[in-house]
Amino acid sequence: MISSIGLIISWLCLLNLIILLVSDDKFRIQLLIRLNLLLNFLLFCILEIALFIDDFSISYVANYSAKSTPPVYKFASLWGSLDGSILLWNLVLGAYFLIYIKYYKKTTNSADIKIFTTIIIFFTSYTIFSSSPFAGCIELASVGCQSSSLLPFQDLVSSLEGRGPNPLLQNHPLMAIHPPILYFGYIGLVLPFVITTSYFFRKDTSSNWVQLASNSTFYPWLFLTAGITLGAAWSYEVLGWGGYWAWDPVENVSFIPWLLATAFLHSSKTQINESTLLNWNYFLGGLMFLSTIFGTFITRSGVLISVHAFSNGNIGVFLLSGLAFFTLFFVYSGSKNIKYFATSKKIKYIFGKSSFFIANNILLFVSALIVFIGTIYPIFYETLYQRQLTIGRTFFDILIGPILIMLIFLMIFSTKITVKNINFNKWLQTNLKIINSSLILTIFFSYVYQLNYLSILTLFGSTMLVITILLNLVQKKTLHKIKGSYWSGQIAHLGIGLFAVGLLLNVSQSYSDEFITSEGSIITFGNNNYMIEKSYEVRRDEKDVINLPIKSNDKYKNASLNIFRNSSQQAISSPAIFRDLESDTYVTIKFIDANNYKLIFRKNYGILIMWMGLALSTLSVIPRIRANEK
Amino acid sequence: MKNRYTLGILLIVLLLLPNLYEDADSRFESWSKNLLCPVCQGETIFDSPSEYADDMRSILREQIDKNLSDDEIYTYWVSRFGERIITNPQNRNFEIILIPLILSIFFIAIFIKKVLK
Repeated sequence: MISSIGLIISWLCLLNLIILLVSDDKFRIQLLIRLNLLLNFLLFCILEIALFIDDFSISYVANYSAKSTPPVYKFASLWGSLDGSILLWNLVLGAYFLIYIKYYKKTTNSADIKIFTTIIIFFTSYTIFSSSPFAGCIELASVGCQSSSLLPFQDLVSSLEGRGPNPLLQNHPLMAIHPPILYFGYIGLVLPFVITTSYFFRKDTSSNWVQLASNSTFYPWLFLTAGITLGAAWSYEVLGWGGYWAWDPVENVSFIPWLLATAFLHSSKTQINESTLLNWNYFLGGLMFLSTIFGTFITRSGVLISVHAFSNGNIGVFLLSGLAFFTLFFVYSGSKNIKYFATSKKIKYIFGKSSFFIANNILLFVSALIVFIGTIYPIFYETLYQRQLTIGRTFFDILIGPILIMLIFLMIFSTKITVKNINFNKWLQTNLKIINSSLILTIFFSYVYQLNYLSILTLFGSTMLVITILLNLVQKKTLHKIKGSYWSGQIAHLGIGLFAVGLLLNVSQSYSDEFITSEGSIITFGNNNYMIEKSYEVRRDEKDVINLPIKSNDKYKNASLNIFRNSSQQAISSPAIFRDLESDTYVTIKFIDANNYKLIFRKNYGILIMWMGLALSTLSVIPRIRANEK
Repeated sequence: MKNRYTLGILLIVLLLLPNLYEDADSRFESWSKNLLCPVCQGETIFDSPSEYADDMRSILREQIDKNLSDDEIYTYWVSRFGERIITNPQNRNFEIILIPLILSIFFIAIFIKKVLK
């Protein structure tokens, strides 16, 4: 029953969008966009209801949820796998459509509406013609559903119990917020795509398209930053490996749009101020969204294997054809405006404001390029040599590390740059006290932490960055005169500076050790003692949890082993984390029986500083809101 | 002016600083950071708590104790698990670093030529 309702509403949704595509009446367009959002919201609610009442006649529910799944994770199961996540994708896309016409539509022409509608039609058709989360189950598997039908009113079969979500996805409530926030980031990048292509398609380059595109990129950028941070935090809190970023393909393809969006936020400023970089801004404005689709293709089509990858038969072909279509349209719209691009002014001052923005763009784009190559190279290698290859942390350390350091030094100049060439002598004169005090701090901490040259350089840059911006914030002389986006940038930079300090501590200082121990013994690790108590087992509906209480400085934390009933996968080891500003002590269970506990103790430096830095970067939204810049 | 002298002295101190202490991974550490545990998802045997990684670590420990050359260690692991367990393939397949470098330089050159007067 629910299956049929869902499928029929999906069809209505498509019908509604097709009418929208051919409508020219303003009022009707407004109405249909709201109707689209409403229908998508309905679909979302219906699938949630199906998940909560355990309607196992729906294939998706049978395969990715179970009766024993706790409510939070039932709710999150909607985006726990591909078909459902497309539903969330469409809902967010619908929401952005409404946001677009409310805040960013500055033209009376309806080309933008048509482009936007085409994009939504594209994703909606996937749920109708290829694979729908509402598909009814027509053949049972031993657990869950074997095959399903996309037609409504079929004779459906229903299993008694579902397979349940992937254990990794039901071990921490962060799973309920990390993906939707990330989606708001990814999908928001459709706004600059629609704005750039629609303006250029109509050869309407007189209006300030870049300002509009730039403003519309900020909030998606914010969601991307928050989403990626939450993902890293989730990985650290749940997976028990002590890390937060593995240069896994799915992480990489979330990082590429972030890098491009960051680059665009800066390059658009240059154009607004000096009408340079016209073609580059057009290129970036569209590329952000295209890179999102490309990323989805890479990770969802099954061409790459990774922790996050869930693949599904047709999605690869589908996304690739969409990517080709949108790219062609993007190139076509651009090619109509060759003459306009030729009016782009050149940079006069090599050490002026624009050059700093250009240097920033070069570094960010090159990073995106490197991450892109690092992600897809294994595919080429396998095709060429029939052998698999792993491109991992060392590759990115070598290539991205130096770029991060250069970016930090560039950001120091962001507090105050002149349009004309900067006078380095004068700059040195005014900043000498800051430089010297940063050097003293750097020498002190480099000695304490015994840092190598690369770390010293990073520490010096980020210390100076943090001091410069803090002083700038305290002095505040120009606060009321300058636009919100300036202070927004300053806070984001301050956050990145803090993040870099945490990151370098983490990379250079962390260490670990392994202990075989038993109840009642005391372990000395770092400068602390850890008392190991008696382990106990908790049986829940969906899993068995073995908890091991550990006591240090009167604080109790549980390290635990989660064994999920519906899964053949390895047990998940959740850490006990004793947090500190400087370092975390991170304890995971490796092996446990009645008498012997094998534990891994990790000292992870800088984690809290990193989270604080990234959180600060997302707070960069506040000056914008205060200045009421959309 | 006095501040400038201070700057110079501080810079020299900073440059000499890392010579005051030893900073190097042991050979075992750097090798274990460069081998992926084949049954864990994307973790090196340095990071991974699994039994499998344990066994691999003890074999590696033996190899290092016997003072096998890097080539011998490489051949041993690659012949058993394939190239995919090596996390720093760029050491042998140098094109992995070269391709992004050349592309980046190419991009930067064009970009600068286009925007600068």
